[in-house]
Amino acid sequence: MNAPQQNILEVDNLNVYYGTFKAVNNVSFNVLQGEIFGLLGPNGAGKTSTLSAVEGLLKQHSGTVTVAGYNTLEKPLYARAAMGVQLQATSFQPELNVAEILKLYAGIYGINLTEEKLHKMLLEINLADAETKRFGQLSGGQQQRVSLAITTIHDPKLVLLDEPTSGLDPQSRRQLWTRIEAIREKGNGVLLTTHSMEEAEAVCDRISIIDHGRIIATGTPQSLIDKHRDDPEVIAVSRRGKITLEDVFIALTGLEVRA
Amino acid sequence: MEVNIPKTSAVMASLLRADFTTLWRNRRSVVMVLLVPMIIVFSWKALVATAGGAFVLSNSITLGLVAVGLMGYTNSIARDRDKGVFQRLRVSPLPLWTIMASRLLIQLSLIILLTIVVFISGYQLDHITISAGGYALTLLAAIIGGAVYLSLGQVIVGRIKNPETVNSTARLIYFGFIMVGMFGELGVLGDKFKKAVDWTPYGTVKTILAGSLEPMKWNNNTNVALLLTLGYTIVFATLGIKWFKWDSK
Repeated sequence: MNAPQQNILEVDNLNVYYGTFKAVNNVSFNVLQGEIFGLLGPNGAGKTSTLSAVEGLLKQHSGTVTVAGYNTLEKPLYARAAMGVQLQATSFQPELNVAEILKLYAGIYGINLTEEKLHKMLLEINLADAETKRFGQLSGGQQQRVSLAITTIHDPKLVLLDEPTSGLDPQSRRQLWTRIEAIREKGNGVLLTTHSMEEAEAVCDRISIIDHGRIIATGTPQSLIDKHRDDPEVIAVSRRGKITLEDVFIALTGLEVRA
Repeated sequence: MEVNIPKTSAVMASLLRADFTTLWRNRRSVVMVLLVPMIIVFSWKALVATAGGAFVLSNSITLGLVAVGLMGYTNSIARDRDKGVFQRLRVSPLPLWTIMASRLLIQLSLIILLTIVVFISGYQLDHITISAGGYALTLLAAIIGGAVYLSLGQVIVGRIKNPETVNSTARLIYFGFIMVGMFGELGVLGDKFKKAVDWTPYGTVKTILAGSLEPMKWNNNTNVALLLTLGYTIVFATLGIKWFKWDSK
């Protein structure tokens, strides 16, 4: 793994409201270049709201978000040009086929996508045979590969992935992890949200655990395990004596099932 | 860390290409939008001699414009918003206005196509001939008139998020315009009703179209109708933009 460098994303005291409900409460974290940073939390913890504020889909009540040195409120177009985003539920115009969707977003991101480059891209994501298929006709794994290809079409400094492996079979999930790691190897930063411990441990260099809109712990997966290994709450929820990240997560966020 | 943002012209070109492709792939619904005015032109053939060619053509074009604004534009916006298409575009480095501008330019091209189709139908089916100035002026009037229904469509998607509800509301209003506009114009519902219809968005658009088709007959009434048409557009557009939300949640 390459040594991380400067901050590619800085989130400072972010507060997001839905009406009177505070969904994100003084959240601060940073993502380094060449790092995969995970935002881990149960349902309704504020992961997607935090990500939406970073992406510019939600306007924060207070706090700053800086992407590649650009404040997302002051220079939104520059900030968005520096990031690639894969939303939790991505959809494209249903009438367009895979090649047309790629060309659309290449144009939007200012990339000159020749037929040769397009064909090469489709080969890389194993969709050369699906060039003329509509997005809705693809399998879940294929849709994720197209989404990720669009997310990274302009080689962004920061890639944002909202629960990228949700609904994928194990093979597709492993393939996606490999692609995410390849983004890191290029020196770009990745911020992903997940509630999968396996994913957090397998892919993330650092994670923040978020619950009820607040960051409650930050560190590498192993450092979090080591730090909380002897906590009574963690030991109480552990199974078969081995402390896992899931045990730490449950101890910190509670056993209650979230809607 | 230097980052380049793409030129707005390049972004617009990409959006227009995609939106035109979407329109082409939906050509069946485009044909339906063009069919209604052609049916009016054909079925009102007998009225050409009594009420005049301008009466028939202006009503046909008006009904076509209502379909473009209320059915085509409104439903595509509601559907794409519900699917999350706009969300994906919003996280891209493009000014938000380009998303709607591209869609509106597509509808504008449809308005021009519709008007030309009505001209051709009027000539071929009813032997209605218009001066060259009349054709040019009517194209412009169709664009101005189309803006009323596009902005009314914007109000509908601004106020209503559910795409099925948008569809049924748009259809109801469209049906209302057909019934009230057509029967009102024909005087079937009485003179008072006809006068009232003249000041509705249907009536004002029909009046400026009729005035454009026969420029020599342009009068003060047509001027007032033009002002009202512009007024309707400004009011609907202001409300539609104010109320519009980019996501359906």
